[in-house]
Amino acid sequence: MLNRERYEQFIALMRERSWDLLLFYGDGWRREHFRCLINLSYSGPHALIVLSRNGELTTIVTDPWDLEPVRSASGGRVILVRQLADGLREALAGANAAVTAVNGLEQMEARLVAALTEQLKVPPVSATLEIEEIRRIKTPWEIDLLRKAAELADRGYDRFARVCEPGLREFELVAEVEAFIKAEGAEDNFMLIASGGTEVTGMKPPTDRALARGDSVTTELTPQVNGYYAQICRTLVIGEPSERQLEAYRIFSEAQQAAQDLLHPGVDIADVARVQNDVFRKNGYGEYTGSKYTRVRGHNLGLYPDELPHVLENVHYLCKKDMVLIAHPNTYLPLSGYMVFGDTLLVTDTGCVSLNRTERRLFNT
Amino acid sequence: MKRGLIAWDRARLPHAALEARLESIERVCDAHEVPALVVYSDVWRSNDARYVSNYMPYWNRALIVVPRGGKPILLCSLSPRVYPWIKSVTLHEEILPSPNLPAQLQKLAAERGWTRVGIVDFAGLPHELHAPLAAGSLAIVDVPRSAVRPAATQSEVAMHRHAAELARRSLANALGAEAIGVTDHVLAGRLELALRREGAEDLVVLVSDGTTPPVPARGARIGELSSAAVALEWSGHWAKVARNVAGLTRALPPTPGSTVWEESLSGPYPWTALAEPASAEQTIVSVQFELPARGARLYYGDTCLRGPEGLLPL
Repeated sequence: MLNRERYEQFIALMRERSWDLLLFYGDGWRREHFRCLINLSYSGPHALIVLSRNGELTTIVTDPWDLEPVRSASGGRVILVRQLADGLREALAGANAAVTAVNGLEQMEARLVAALTEQLKVPPVSATLEIEEIRRIKTPWEIDLLRKAAELADRGYDRFARVCEPGLREFELVAEVEAFIKAEGAEDNFMLIASGGTEVTGMKPPTDRALARGDSVTTELTPQVNGYYAQICRTLVIGEPSERQLEAYRIFSEAQQAAQDLLHPGVDIADVARVQNDVFRKNGYGEYTGSKYTRVRGHNLGLYPDELPHVLENVHYLCKKDMVLIAHPNTYLPLSGYMVFGDTLLVTDTGCVSLNRTERRLFNT
Repeated sequence: MKRGLIAWDRARLPHAALEARLESIERVCDAHEVPALVVYSDVWRSNDARYVSNYMPYWNRALIVVPRGGKPILLCSLSPRVYPWIKSVTLHEEILPSPNLPAQLQKLAAERGWTRVGIVDFAGLPHELHAPLAAGSLAIVDVPRSAVRPAATQSEVAMHRHAAELARRSLANALGAEAIGVTDHVLAGRLELALRREGAEDLVVLVSDGTTPPVPARGARIGELSSAAVALEWSGHWAKVARNVAGLTRALPPTPGSTVWEESLSGPYPWTALAEPASAEQTIVSVQFELPARGARLYYGDTCLRGPEGLLPL
């Protein structure tokens, strides 16, 4: 469907920036640049929307199965072509655009940028950062979808915890969880996993390793509901957790809670990272908060599962009401190996609330 | 997304087969007079990199650099914490952390004394990577994909065939009588379970209720006029198969006048509309039919080998 609220915001942005045309380019990986305006999962390798300042929409699709759904969702003109560049030429024929901006320009094939420049006689500019900033503040409709995605993440984790058992191989565990999440209505799911002990330094796609007693099994589940991703991170021990695993969990839990206690409109996201890292420092594990052992202390969520800004001490961004992000102090600790813990958080007027309902504990079988 | 079993099955893809591909790339380097060839990869455009070194990203972008006379080098921005895993499923022994891929490639070239390199389908790179490379002092030679992957080999055809067999079998099981009345979400879940257990790395399920083309599941009930399409990646090789509950089929190769859409399954993207369907080279394609029946639209399609002698279902 056409995201009407975003449509109005993007038209306003075009007027403010004096852009004649605003293009939304998505490929199979970075669909969010397209879906922020027409929220539909296309099948072709790419799709592109041309929005003119007077509000007219033309969409180019490269798969015949996209033609009808996009026409129905956009209500505008839709062009089906085998090669996207041909569609660009057709859509822009006669366009007298002094300034064309592209949301997703960075991911666009260079030959398409060349075709665009040739057609319009002027190179396009990127609109990605400005559109991203608009997208960070979620609309009520988007928040509702994120709540549904978080609720599905909770149920997905429940399934995860129920099927974990010694002997189950990692990829079989993923198959069970994926099947459940899809059957319950997820469009997609981003999921990483790891299992083992202190030798485990990070998560990755599943291997054929069989779960064994004493393993920490970590996962981040990120179901996508009608385009929007919410995430949950939890750790589960096969059998009874050891004292060291429990001690590690206590640190992770305290760190995540520190982030949740701090997060409110106006707070610098660097501080959301800092308070998490401070808990590790306080416990003598400061070195495990750096890039050698961890990636980020959380990230924004939305139409892409790893949206910016990242929660890092060197990233400065003032949080705003109705942002949705995850705070997760996921890292390696010598106590337990890699461990994860995090909830999807909605920034409210005065603080934040977790959209997840899963128990905040170290799970075990 | 690529959250299935990413592995290196050395029985199906022996080390020697990958070495032979690298030797072939060395000849491409010779032909284009470049000391190294570069292949781009991201989570949706991973086919070429997988071909070269068996590398498949579960996330993010990467460049594979194949130096003439040297071992392939992986430039990627994934954490060094996953390098041991990457090394266990690929040819790569050397991985360079590369938050900025163009800068890392330029640095590597400077260290090795390269003044030019070849990049496979340079114009196909994302603008963000292409622009700094095009503006840099390192000369770039645009090498066509066909030079690196001229035609599907027998072992590649066998992998696509296996993927197609998995897709056909899973659809046959999922679209039986017990499918009637369940939602398309449940159908998608059943296909996920079956195919991920078989080691599918990536999977896309699209469903038609007879009134629309196949689309992502939306909560519609499966009925007698429903069809489902499965695009499946197995060991880096894609298949796309569509079947319908009614069991309607269409002969392959298609007869003239059939409503048919043909896509390449061995291009840089998982599937791409064929610009020139009558390719002389062996290409793996998906052929999809829309079949009018009982006032509805049913779908049927399969994965085929297209070569000089026409279309051969796999």
